[in-house]
Amino acid sequence: MSKTINFTIDGVSVEGARGETILQVARKNDIYIPTMCYISKTTPCASCRMCVVEAQGLDGFVLSCNTPPTEGLEITTNSTELERERTNIMKLYDVNHPLECGVCDKSGECDLQNKTLEFNVGQQNFAAKDIPRKIENWGLINYDPALCILCEKCVHVCNEVIGDDAIDVKFGGYSSTIIPKNNDKLDCTYCGECIAVCPVGALISSDFQYTANAWELSRVPATCAHCSAGCSLEYEVKGVGISRDASIYRVKNNFEYTNLCGAGRFGFDFDNKAEKNPADFHKAVEAISSAKAIRFSSMITNEEAYMLGELKSKFGLKLFNEDARLYAEFMKAYSSVSGKKHHSGSQDAIRQADAVIVIGGRIATDNPGVRYALTTASRHNGAKIVYAHPIEDALMKNTITQFLKYEAASEEGVMALLANAILKDADLSDEERAFFNDLDLGYLCAESNIGEEEIALMMQSFTRAKNRVLVVGSDMMAHSRAKNIAKLCAMIEKYSEFSLVVVPSQVNTLGVSLINELDIDEELADNVVGYNASGNFVISSLEFANLAIPSLNQQEGTFVNIDNKVLPTNVALAFDGYTLLDIVQACGVKRENTIDCTKVLDTKAGFKAVAFDDLENFLSAHGDDNRGYILDEVACEMNGTLDSIDDLAEFNGPVIYHSNPVLQFNAYTNTTSQLERDTSLRGSAQFASIAKISDGEKIEISFGSRTIVREFKLDEELKGTIALNPTFDIAVDSSRYRFEKSKIMRVTNE
Amino acid sequence: MEAFNDRNVSNGYYKLDIEDYPTTAWGKFKRVVRRTFRGELFVGLWVVMREMIKFDVHTVQYPLEKMPIGPRYRAVHEMKRLWESEAERCIGCGLCEKICISNCIQMDTKIDENSRKEVSEYTINLGRCIFCGYCAEVCPELAITHGGEYENGSEQREHYIDYAGMLTPLEMMTQGKQQEFEGFGAITPHEDAGVKKTPLSY
Repeated sequence: MSKTINFTIDGVSVEGARGETILQVARKNDIYIPTMCYISKTTPCASCRMCVVEAQGLDGFVLSCNTPPTEGLEITTNSTELERERTNIMKLYDVNHPLECGVCDKSGECDLQNKTLEFNVGQQNFAAKDIPRKIENWGLINYDPALCILCEKCVHVCNEVIGDDAIDVKFGGYSSTIIPKNNDKLDCTYCGECIAVCPVGALISSDFQYTANAWELSRVPATCAHCSAGCSLEYEVKGVGISRDASIYRVKNNFEYTNLCGAGRFGFDFDNKAEKNPADFHKAVEAISSAKAIRFSSMITNEEAYMLGELKSKFGLKLFNEDARLYAEFMKAYSSVSGKKHHSGSQDAIRQADAVIVIGGRIATDNPGVRYALTTASRHNGAKIVYAHPIEDALMKNTITQFLKYEAASEEGVMALLANAILKDADLSDEERAFFNDLDLGYLCAESNIGEEEIALMMQSFTRAKNRVLVVGSDMMAHSRAKNIAKLCAMIEKYSEFSLVVVPSQVNTLGVSLINELDIDEELADNVVGYNASGNFVISSLEFANLAIPSLNQQEGTFVNIDNKVLPTNVALAFDGYTLLDIVQACGVKRENTIDCTKVLDTKAGFKAVAFDDLENFLSAHGDDNRGYILDEVACEMNGTLDSIDDLAEFNGPVIYHSNPVLQFNAYTNTTSQLERDTSLRGSAQFASIAKISDGEKIEISFGSRTIVREFKLDEELKGTIALNPTFDIAVDSSRYRFEKSKIMRVTNE
Repeated sequence: MEAFNDRNVSNGYYKLDIEDYPTTAWGKFKRVVRRTFRGELFVGLWVVMREMIKFDVHTVQYPLEKMPIGPRYRAVHEMKRLWESEAERCIGCGLCEKICISNCIQMDTKIDENSRKEVSEYTINLGRCIFCGYCAEVCPELAITHGGEYENGSEQREHYIDYAGMLTPLEMMTQGKQQEFEGFGAITPHEDAGVKKTPLSY
């Protein structure tokens, strides 16, 4: 059976791959077929019937969006009958559509308006008695049912791509509307993707509604600065008031092909404001030149990381960044077995996968981009998704096919069990085979609490899978046996069909880990300069800084995301204060622009010598990704050997897990105005009974050397003895394992 | 018509009999003496006096008196209200801000408590405005128009008027004194004849 199908559209002979629909082939060949409900990243809604075409030999019309072509088929996309059919559809859409285009937030970017004009609907001969429709407020989203044309794009995206499955169509003929599914109120993760795909102004961000017209906003293409998914977005900027100070009004994405979570879409106002104060600046330069170390976070661009590296070599100081250092260590151990520097998987690989193992991270909140890729794989490829973690995640409930619950801190054992099952028939060296033969499977199963039959079930469900991905979360980086885990991951990637994705915990953890030589944080008492981190002298884009610097939406530069892609970001808002470049110049380094660093990033780490201004940042009309570049693969020395599995640690009593609530990631998302800030410790009823606390109580949590005060909230969706502790409002030492044994005390108000 | 088209301007023209300018100092002295004692000054004074006594003065006594201004005159902007409800006509669509070629209109809008669009800030910088009338022409609601108020002298270049300052006062509405604008963008006569009804089959 040949893989391609040859047929003609409007007399042009075209070639389609098996599985493609007529519409997809037409679009690839730049043949226009009008649609209202079609969206490339979901299965066809087939609700608008605009995409009808004529096929020779067939009576009536064919829906091009969900019909695959047959060999030799002759398709006509334009005829008088088709024109009449489409015009009538447009007329029906226009029945009682409120004539409020003047104030509608689409302000001209409206599919309905475009098609109404395209089909020259100047006269209406259909009518229906209008019914009262109430405008709904769903928190961050407003819904006006009168404007809704029931294209169902929002429902399809919510279900098939995001995985919230939170909205549904309430069928009722002319009174059909979109409603929250199985609920009075909208209960979802507020990704806002429904707003993005809405072709009319029915679904609108409640913060943005009626504040600006599309034509007044200037668009700044950038990369989201909240997590390592590195989603593309556009900041839309406009001046406010008579002074016309620029402000970000909203964030948009290319919804046809890409996704964006709520943090990216609604959490855009984290910009920093400052003016130049030479006294502070001199203090900062002095502090750096006399510093022993700079401690910094991974929420910086590659260029900033490079300049910090220059300061290191100039003053011989140390660079502390535990988060990136642990990632680098993990990847170094990985390279020692796999023989290459970068993990092989990407979000695209997950999207196309039909078997995925997610282990060691609460992926839905750690990295929504990966979650959406998993949802897409599940809905479109029927992928088997195995989710291994000590805590079940209600957000992943509809996506995963098997949940492997293991005990906290037993990750090494679990990885060994997985590797043992996956590599059963692999062509291993004798030494490596001996490692697996020596495994005490009974002990590992007992201690990690994973049954052999669970693993067998998993392997059975994977038998037919062709594209397999292993997603390793950020729990692993700070695990005491991280290196051995990394080697096991490398083994799986090397000897099986699995590709590997190692999730970086922060937006540019991966970039920093490649650029900087990092030192172990020695917790020095003095002479530490903090760069977006704690220190004796703090240079930061957050509050309480000795010197203010621009935040990530006020900077030009690049990030390296989870796909090993170098992605450019741009200045959405101007910053009047000093930048790292000024400091570096004052320290005697000759450099004109920050973005001059882009070209000189280390090619040994895989960077290409491409200037910032030569980096593209767009998606083509067909969805081809033209953002930045993918890191070159770098060969590494293969000298790593597997260590035998250590005794698995036991975590008893109340355990907390550092994990942020939905849409919160870090101190920057914490400063935004629209995102909800839930700083409570969330735990199950079982946790409450062990810790002897109840819902709504104020408690004191002690872990490591720290004590924090939080409210306890009972979460019915959680089970077990592990509670979730948010980290976005408190800086948690990222060198610590995310599970913490803790002591919990009730705070009594005397 | 023939006379009108006759471009030969020399017809009916004649040369004044101007004596030559004196070139010598003596000549100049003689001219000064002659002009001084001929009493030309009193001729002018007499004309003024004669007109004064007639009490038939054509001069407009500005600023005590003002000439009526034409309805299509484009002076300082006004914001109109609806006749029926006295609600503001402006819907905040932003077209006037967009079309303004001297970039002097600035508006901010927001959602009000009834989920409608509301203008929260609206200013026109009269120092920049060139009174071209595009804003009034583009306004789909006949809300922003030009009024007859041309006295906008200011001590500085920047001179702003705001929404409240342009809006027709409510007492003017109750008195029915709001003036409709007749310039570009206003309704043309016989417009009603072109309106078609929405088909209602029920």
